[in-house]
Amino acid sequence: MKFAIPVMLAVLPLAAQEIKMPVSLDRLAAKASEVVDVSLDGALLQLASRFLSEKDPDEAHVKRLVGGLKGVYVKSFEFEDRDQYKESDVEELRTQLKAPGWARIVSSRSKRNGDNADIYLKTDAGQISGLAIIVTDPRELTIVNIVGSIRPEDIRDLGGHFGIPKIDINPGKNDKKDKEDNR
Amino acid sequence: MKSLPVLAAACVLCTASAQAADREFTEVVHVISDEFHTRPMSIPMFGLVNLVTAAVHPAGTRHIDLAVFEHLSSHDREGRDLSQSILNAVGRSWRPFVQVRSRKNGHEETVFVYMRQEGKEWKLLVTAIERDEATVVQLLLNPDALARWMASPERCARHWNGDTTE
Repeated sequence: MKFAIPVMLAVLPLAAQEIKMPVSLDRLAAKASEVVDVSLDGALLQLASRFLSEKDPDEAHVKRLVGGLKGVYVKSFEFEDRDQYKESDVEELRTQLKAPGWARIVSSRSKRNGDNADIYLKTDAGQISGLAIIVTDPRELTIVNIVGSIRPEDIRDLGGHFGIPKIDINPGKNDKKDKEDNR
Repeated sequence: MKSLPVLAAACVLCTASAQAADREFTEVVHVISDEFHTRPMSIPMFGLVNLVTAAVHPAGTRHIDLAVFEHLSSHDREGRDLSQSILNAVGRSWRPFVQVRSRKNGHEETVFVYMRQEGKEWKLLVTAIERDEATVVQLLLNPDALARWMASPERCARHWNGDTTE
């Protein structure tokens, strides 16, 4: 019994950071042509990072990044046709990310191809404790929740590993493309 | 005559292999059997596969349990929520790792991958269900083999389901 309180205190901050996938996403799953769920907790991530090479600079960098992570959770939906989901399907999720401690740090919109990406940062006592990414395009919706210490600029390096999609989060680049398209 | 002890040892190992399947593997096989009103096909000499696997450790695998269902028909289905039934069968001692459900080209395919640590080794329980066949596999892996799975979970799940486009 004397262990119960420390254990609860240890678990609570982690639980507070994780995003709850709303029920509306279950309804989306019925429409999607493909749904992928990936769950990697801290112990599994550390194990997975063993496969990354110290000799390859990129992999060594990812390996260092993984050292600060407690979990990676990815859920993605792919649709056969365009516009099979609405912004309201994701609204409940975005509402969670308006809670204290969360802040949207990147919002990228492309009128050219309809690709949108939002990155939310979670901080506790001034320390980064998690990230959430919502990537939408007319045929895909991807939600990534990374729990642990990670800098936003490192997201690109994690793309392609552990089920995290490769994400172009350079908003200036997209804005430029849009301007060129509008000429 | 010299080959008799070897043969006896092989029989003992094969028998041991056949008994090594975890309760959860058996439960998942039952879930699919009950859902489709069928039984897994018999795989002749599969014990020998495990004999070789135990000796050679191909791709870091030390043991395999396998159940293959063929000629499944949607008309025979009970209509249960298979993902929930499999989740119930697997229980809490296994961690959900990756789940892929695809309905591309009119064919529904689902892959569930769970994992569990046992000492220094890891067990992977993979259930792949396609339109007319299903496979349940339990692998005993060394950590390096598991790390390969985890570095690219989605690709591994797709590959398991025969999708080589990724």
